[in-house]
Amino acid sequence: MLSVGILALSAQQAIEAGSWLIVIVVAFIAMSILVVYSTRRMIPAKYLLPGLILLLLFQMWPIIYTAATAFTNYGDGHTLSKEEAIVAIQGQSVRQDPDAPRYGMSVAVPEGAAIETGELSLLLTVAPAEDGSELEEGAEEGGEAELGENITDDGTRLFVGTEEGLQPLSADGVEVLGNGTIGTAPGYRVLNLMEANERAQDVQDFAVPVGEEGEAAVKPATTSQAFVGRPTITYDEDADVMTTAEGKRYVAQEGNFVPEDGVGAALPAGWTENVGFDNFRTIFTDPTFRTGFLKIFLWNLAFPLLSVGSTFILGMLLALLFNDPRLKGKGFYRSLLILPYALPIFVTGLVWAAMFNAQFGLINEVTGLSINWLGDPWAARFALLLTNLWLGFPYMFLICTGALQSVPSDVKEAASVDGAGPVRTLVSVTMPLLLVAVGPLLVASFAFNFNNFTLIYLVTGGGPFDSGNSLVGNTDLLINFAYRLALESGTPNIGLASAVSIVIFLLVGTISYLGFRQSAALEEVN
Amino acid sequence: MPEITFRDGNRGTVAALGQRGAGDLTTVRRRTMKRTTGAVAITSAAALLLSACGGESGEENTDSGANAEESSGDDAAAEEEGGVDSAATSEGAPAASDGTSLVIWADDLRAAALEDVAATFEEETGVPVTLQVVANENLREQFKDSVGAGAGPDIAVGAHDWLGELVQNNVVAPVQLASDLSGQFNPDSIEAFTYEGQTYGVPYSVESLALIRNTELAPDEPETMEALVETGAQLVSDGEAELVMAQQLGQEGDAYNMYPYLAAYGGGIFPLLEEGGFDASEVIIDSEETVQGGEKIAWLAEQEALTVNLDGSNTIPQFVEGKTAYLVSGPWAIEQSTEAGINYAISPIPDFEDGGETTPFLGVNGFYVSAESQNPQIAQTFVQEYVSRADVQVSLYEAGDRPPALTEAYEQVAADDEDIESWGQAAEGGTPMPNIPQMNAVWGPLGKATADIVSGNDAAERLGTAQSEVEGAL
Repeated sequence: MLSVGILALSAQQAIEAGSWLIVIVVAFIAMSILVVYSTRRMIPAKYLLPGLILLLLFQMWPIIYTAATAFTNYGDGHTLSKEEAIVAIQGQSVRQDPDAPRYGMSVAVPEGAAIETGELSLLLTVAPAEDGSELEEGAEEGGEAELGENITDDGTRLFVGTEEGLQPLSADGVEVLGNGTIGTAPGYRVLNLMEANERAQDVQDFAVPVGEEGEAAVKPATTSQAFVGRPTITYDEDADVMTTAEGKRYVAQEGNFVPEDGVGAALPAGWTENVGFDNFRTIFTDPTFRTGFLKIFLWNLAFPLLSVGSTFILGMLLALLFNDPRLKGKGFYRSLLILPYALPIFVTGLVWAAMFNAQFGLINEVTGLSINWLGDPWAARFALLLTNLWLGFPYMFLICTGALQSVPSDVKEAASVDGAGPVRTLVSVTMPLLLVAVGPLLVASFAFNFNNFTLIYLVTGGGPFDSGNSLVGNTDLLINFAYRLALESGTPNIGLASAVSIVIFLLVGTISYLGFRQSAALEEVN
Repeated sequence: MPEITFRDGNRGTVAALGQRGAGDLTTVRRRTMKRTTGAVAITSAAALLLSACGGESGEENTDSGANAEESSGDDAAAEEEGGVDSAATSEGAPAASDGTSLVIWADDLRAAALEDVAATFEEETGVPVTLQVVANENLREQFKDSVGAGAGPDIAVGAHDWLGELVQNNVVAPVQLASDLSGQFNPDSIEAFTYEGQTYGVPYSVESLALIRNTELAPDEPETMEALVETGAQLVSDGEAELVMAQQLGQEGDAYNMYPYLAAYGGGIFPLLEEGGFDASEVIIDSEETVQGGEKIAWLAEQEALTVNLDGSNTIPQFVEGKTAYLVSGPWAIEQSTEAGINYAISPIPDFEDGGETTPFLGVNGFYVSAESQNPQIAQTFVQEYVSRADVQVSLYEAGDRPPALTEAYEQVAADDEDIESWGQAAEGGTPMPNIPQMNAVWGPLGKATADIVSGNDAAERLGTAQSEVEGAL
């Protein structure tokens, strides 16, 4: 029952974090564990449940999550909820009054009150050198002290700021520290740094209204300073409209507050909202996407086909060679051949990219060619196939070696007894047997190369690009194209990216399904 | 090529930035998703591990918090506590703001430089500081994602051009600098951290492209680009060098590196606003002025001073190996040059003979305060009252060799360090890289246009197509 204990713990954490969805999921899992394991019945379920839960969590959940995201505008500038965005916009709009003085500030509660709950006030000081005359208008009469009594010997003026407003603070018995903050004041318990920090959120939200209409406020700037500022944007909840100080109105539209008159940019913070099929519509109607799609799709078919074909042929030929019983030192050669497979693609990809450099690259230097490998579309495609051949043949070599060793020698002997030469034996006996074993792996390899994002990204970056079209690269695979379209062009848009990956998922799924059906047919023939 | 090969982080502020950021975005999302599900996974050790980690670090932090509370004002205890040591090397999920210590995320270089500052801060305020090293290439995304999930740091050290994106997603809080304090900084650096009239960070360094010259090959500073090309070509024909000049460009182009030329005649990307910042509603890539700059790029390519075959991986090595006398690059190129024993001198990128003034982009580094900080006032105190101190800015300079943003610190450093003075001169007249999120739509098309111009396309025509592409994307 350890697992249930752990579950309870994570539920506790989730509750603290306020993630109710997680709490529900955890509770559901805990219940199914209890149901399955607490009785002696349901024997198969006892074996299946762990795998099932992991499958749901790690396979289904990301897919569902991606699918759900595809119907939203989630992305840069649309990560908040609308409420958060409204708060953020207003908070960001608070501007410091340039003429107002900077206050020295201490946070205090009334003497005797508890730190955690006592009513906060800000004890403020204005250094004598500064001209704070404008602000005294905001300081109301009738506090504990009259204006005039709040001036210390060295001319520092003292105020106390509450949520009602700014009032003079009698200088009697007040100790002003070197940094302009108040150390002690009669009637107040001045909080030290860590005490004040326990109420950091309260302090952060604290505003002492000042000015004629109280629209400006004294707000904490640091732990020891306060500034006078005012929000320059206000929100009208009923109309759902943001209004700036100049009177410009912004209305809510497609996850942003946009100017009502259509002039200028939207307010920076936006929110996530449901956009229905908009992302999918973009995919099929956006002119860039549509024109680029066919070209990229053709290359996306050619690249994995040619890659699988070339790596398989080279790998198989090498496997046949090293499978010959007459060859000495096979182990050594074989381990050498595995090397490219053992190196991380991040290294090989970048090294090959450097080698293809037209001016400084090793390949042109050694061969004496002057091919603009990465600048010419066809050369770049060829360069990619070459790189992938280097990267991929050891894998094919490995699986072919394995498959060849499992081809029984008596079949081959029988063939030679029947009078077949080596070539005939290879074509008619060895190959069919080999293909049965490696066929499904070829399909898997195709599916992998269909989405071989990393290689393209590292070697050509999708380029070269046709002049004036920096979205559709000549060596882009669909996945690279989608990545660029959704994340690199303008504002990263995760919603659109999710929609694109669903489309790719459907494509790869269909092709792989057809491929596996083919290879199954192959098996039946034999 | 993707931004993978650069070891220097500040290169990250540079071109194709959106691309790299976006790359991380997907991986990070996937990772977060796994993390959430991991917490749920019943039998999997992940849950156990996670809760164990959480508990442990929580305890640790509470301890240090309590300790500091007892001793607020008491120097010795806070010092002993040494949040710095305990955190500097921690791995796994980065420490997050939790209300008991000030959590700062920075890359390894800057975190090291901040240790003294953190100690001073602990000593003076009694607040323990946790310095968390986050790899530079991940910092931007991790900061954004973790603050979005409510688990970010209090303070993150980063580049100014992240700003628009961070504001959009409500990751950073405004920093209300006292006006007399903001006046003590290089005005460009404050402008760089200003977005739509609001300041969001405190800068500490300013960097830009400059001309780095091998003084053995080319003893004299070239007066103009024309003179540079002439000397460079002479060296090549004499067999003393192999390249006229080295500057990063790559097959996909590089708008950051080409900007000094594009903007030489008053052109650029967005028109500058008088009150600072850019007017993103207008694109001036195909303007007469920008095209004039583009033609200079074509001319430089004709003279073989620019080539698309030099990219992020092989540009600096050309200079370091002595194959060229001139390198146009930033402070990140210096370490390798010094290690290789190259005698170099730094000067601003020369202007053109006909009066075109090369104008590099400025990259500014600074301190951001998280919008979700659990210690908002303490974090603000750190960035406003400590980062703005001359000694702190000097120690950050010592770690990164970039000119400080605080004028007093810059003057102090420049008096002893010739390089810094030169970098400062190179940055004069530069424009802070736009910090608006719209830049993401510009780097790609404009970069590719520069590569095509270098490969022989007509500048006016190619910048025209870039203009329509950028306009389409915005």
